[in-house]
Amino acid sequence: MGILGKARAKSPWILHFDAGACNGCDIEVIACLTPVYDVERFGMMNIGNPKHADILLVTGTCNLRNARVLKNLYAQMPEPKAVVAIGACALSGGVFHECYNVLGGVEGIIPVDVWVPGCAPKPEAIIEGAVMAVQRMQERASGKVQPSEDESEDEHA
Amino acid sequence: MGELAWLGRLNVGGLAGVLILAPVLTGLVVFLVRTKWSRKGIVTGTGWILSLGALALFGFGAVRRDTVSFMPPQIPGISWDAVVTGLDLLLIVGFVAIGFLLRRPIVAALAVLQAGLVLWVELSHSVRLEHPPLYVDWLAIIMVMIVSVIGSIVAVYGLPYMKEHEKHLGIPDTASKRPRFFLTILIFLGAMNGLVLSDNLLWLFFFWEVTTLCSFLLIRHDETADAEANAFRALWINMAGGVLFAGGLVVLSHAVGAVSIQRIVESRASVVTNPIALVGLGLLCVAGFTKAAQMPFHSWLLGAMVAPTPVSALLHSSTMVKAGVYLIARLAPAFHDTAMSDMIAVAGGFTFAAAALLAIGQTNAKKVLAYSTISNLGLIIACAGLNSPLSMAAAVMLIIFHAISKALLFMAAGVVEHGIWSRDIEDMQGLVSRMPLTTLTMVIGILSMLLPPFGVLIAKLAAIEASVRMPAALLLLVVGSTLTVMFWTKWTGRLLTADPSVVFPRIEHLHSMYFVPLLMLTIGALGFSLMVVPLLTQLIVPAVAQYYRSVQSDVTTLVQFDNVLGVPWALVFGVLALAVLWPLLYFRGPRTQRTGVYLCGEQVETAATTTFRTAAETAVPVTIRGHYFERAVGETVHARWMMTVSIAALVLMLGAAFLQR
Amino acid sequence: MNPIALGALTLVIAPILGGLLMGLDRRITARLQNRLGPPILQPFYDVGKLMGKQPVACNSFQGVAASLYLMTSVLALLMFVLGQDLLVLLFVLALGAVMLILGGFSVKSPYSQLGSQREVLQMLAYEPLLVLMVVGVYLQTGSFSANSVLALDRPLLLTMPIFLVTQTLVIGIKLHKSPFDVSASHHAHQELVRGIYTEFSGLQLALIELAHFYELVLLLGFVWFLWHTNWLVGAALALAAYFSTILMDNVTARMTWRWLVSFMWTWGIGLAVANLAAIYFMLRVPR
Ligand code: SF4
Repeated sequence: MGILGKARAKSPWILHFDAGACNGCDIEVIACLTPVYDVERFGMMNIGNPKHADILLVTGTCNLRNARVLKNLYAQMPEPKAVVAIGACALSGGVFHECYNVLGGVEGIIPVDVWVPGCAPKPEAIIEGAVMAVQRMQERASGKVQPSEDESEDEHA
Repeated sequence: MGELAWLGRLNVGGLAGVLILAPVLTGLVVFLVRTKWSRKGIVTGTGWILSLGALALFGFGAVRRDTVSFMPPQIPGISWDAVVTGLDLLLIVGFVAIGFLLRRPIVAALAVLQAGLVLWVELSHSVRLEHPPLYVDWLAIIMVMIVSVIGSIVAVYGLPYMKEHEKHLGIPDTASKRPRFFLTILIFLGAMNGLVLSDNLLWLFFFWEVTTLCSFLLIRHDETADAEANAFRALWINMAGGVLFAGGLVVLSHAVGAVSIQRIVESRASVVTNPIALVGLGLLCVAGFTKAAQMPFHSWLLGAMVAPTPVSALLHSSTMVKAGVYLIARLAPAFHDTAMSDMIAVAGGFTFAAAALLAIGQTNAKKVLAYSTISNLGLIIACAGLNSPLSMAAAVMLIIFHAISKALLFMAAGVVEHGIWSRDIEDMQGLVSRMPLTTLTMVIGILSMLLPPFGVLIAKLAAIEASVRMPAALLLLVVGSTLTVMFWTKWTGRLLTADPSVVFPRIEHLHSMYFVPLLMLTIGALGFSLMVVPLLTQLIVPAVAQYYRSVQSDVTTLVQFDNVLGVPWALVFGVLALAVLWPLLYFRGPRTQRTGVYLCGEQVETAATTTFRTAAETAVPVTIRGHYFERAVGETVHARWMMTVSIAALVLMLGAAFLQR
Repeated sequence: MNPIALGALTLVIAPILGGLLMGLDRRITARLQNRLGPPILQPFYDVGKLMGKQPVACNSFQGVAASLYLMTSVLALLMFVLGQDLLVLLFVLALGAVMLILGGFSVKSPYSQLGSQREVLQMLAYEPLLVLMVVGVYLQTGSFSANSVLALDRPLLLTMPIFLVTQTLVIGIKLHKSPFDVSASHHAHQELVRGIYTEFSGLQLALIELAHFYELVLLLGFVWFLWHTNWLVGAALALAAYFSTILMDNVTARMTWRWLVSFMWTWGIGLAVANLAAIYFMLRVPR
């Protein structure tokens, strides 16, 4: 891990996208920024702009309307990047799975690197997920993993 | 220099004759021989004659290195003074006729008033006329160069422009008004050359009135109701200025007993202690204010933008308005170190700041340019009013660089107008994707008006330095420069707002008579800025030194440009050029990916687009508009108090003549 | 010292110093918000990471804008260190600011366009104050060169006390600190999208951040000038000005551009002019 790798590990900027959450997960994501958890300790910052972001945190289910938005945001993030799906909804659709408009989880819309299960997951779990995403991003930048085609070795927090 | 010594033996009287009369004669030929090819050839040829003549005059000055007063070539049986007086009266008769034809009695009245005042000067015996009426020094040479070279470039540019213009208006070739147009333009150039070479104020007055007439004819060229109204306004305001000019002459001829500028400057010691003489000079300066479109007289220049663009390019850059500042700068040594001079600085500074403020609120590109001209002329007049060698060096530099940049900007604006048929800055949004070449010249023109390392800025720095001794002027200059940055930046921003779907914009085709003048002026703007140090030391400092020699003996040491000259400008240029070039190469490389703009992920597809989906999945293009702060800086918001303040400044200026230092 | 060596040293040390100060800022801000905050070296990590990102651009002018912004900041600082003309320096700095604005304008994005429009107004707010400060220097030294200040044997603060305040305000505006952060916020987490910086990414953003390091050192250098006779006091003044902007950032909220411009053009310019008037009066500046 050279200087660049170290810088990358120390400065993951986060874009948080609420697809169709009940807001439970969002509250937990925001909680990570509060003095109790303070993710800025790790250099993480919540920035609302895909062009600056390294890690995309997605909460909630995907439907036809927001799937396109999610894809667009993902496409506008420059490489290297990673995606973390947060909460049961983002994993599979969760309690909304059977709704007429729900497509399911984030997987299938954009490639997911880290799954953080829970309804809602605790902030600690979310932070750990983000840290894992940083590792994923490192591997990808160093050429070990090709951009998220393979789903076999995905970690679960 | 040895081989060039013959330049010093040139017959300067003959040279002046060529510079003044050649364009008039060729103009008549253009008017009489009405074919397209002869017109093209003759206008271009006249451009060459004028440019070469100016160059010869420059060589003459460079070899002589001194000022020369001279007579026009002697022709037995002809008194040139009588000829000029006769032509002057003929001109005034013409004005009276125009007044009757247009049913505008005020024009006739002003003309009669002028005639009376001029005859009064001519007939009063106190005036000594033995001084040669023409005069060459560096300032005059610089002005001749500007008029002849930039004026010719504009005239050539006018050839294709007027053709397209008439085509757009649907005027058939047989009814073309182009012969008259180019006749007027060429007479205009000759008159300007005469104006800057005249030492006798009566001669100067004649040429002054010729420029008034020419500008009237040019503004009126399209003969629409709008053009008529604005041409009339330009005419009466400038004729009122002419009346003030003639009135000033009457006062001066009685108080000083001379109408030669050199005589007046030489007798400065008696002038500054004589309030009447100062009032005379003050009246001449107010006449300069009208011609230079200073507040409160600025409305005529704003109206003048209805004219075809070559006219604007000519009026704003090398002719007309420059005549006003030239007169004030020329007379400045005579009222050096007086309260009136300080008031001129404040009045000029006020116009500088106020016009820049009003420019912020304009969406019409030509109007922004017009306000910028008014503002910059205010700065030049402020420099003349500050009346120190340093400020005068700044003034001369501003005259040069402003002429180049403003001609460039107007010509580029004209090309744009014929490309998109609009003058609105909002319509120019994203012009960089449609007309990249023209946009590039335009952006260079704009940046050369306000940023380092370009000449206008360096002159502005000198002006600020010179104004430190006068807090009021200083504050106006600081405020004005900030406001200037604002309106230019906003405009450039509109031009550069690129269309994201165009990666490599197609270079537009430009007529060669558009392209070459634009290219020449762009190179001029860049090249002269690059050579600002030699320009300053070789040309401008000697000019200022000549000018102040009756006031201060040792001028060169007073021009403290050391700090500015100490900056390694060539290095700065190089570094900045590198900073521009490498990203162009790097971010064009195959590694760089083009993306669309950030639209909250709602863009229609991920490719470069600015259309987004809104309610009910309807696709809506992003609309972007510049902000013009109409409520804060609209013209009407400030009209009244600005008028009041500027009129008060003029009254105080004349009143200050009675304050003794 | 040899000017070339001095220049080279500045090129290296200034960004380190600027980055450390920015890191300190992040840390202090976090402490004021009862958080632990990132490591002091965080700004360097950020710049390093941004440099390693895939290059992405909306048009080729963006890169030019970012590069010119950096280059002018460096040039301005070099001119400062080498004792060149302060007025020229300010306009070189203005060139960079204008380029950044044009970079924002060059993208047809509502966010960066709005940011640029507002950055123009920010510039309108601080530019006259910088020039007036330099004029204050001129009144006492008779020259605009930075060297002439060093030749002065008394601290400038004694005659220009108000400029400590205005310069603090200018630093606040230049660094986009609340309540002056109308075009974008200094700290990314304080806002939704990043105004004028929205469309710059990767290397371009890294260049802009780097330019901020240089610019911060330059702006603090201006404060240091107010007490140049003892460099410790000067440095203390500079740090005090810097920390007051950080404090201001944390206890105030963003205000509107109308307030910004009218506040700076009444109070800011008014106070500066009052100070200048006092200098005119005291020194009886010769005509
Ligand atoms: S996982 Fe649970 S808390 Fe999170 S969005 Fe779904 S329902 Fe809400």
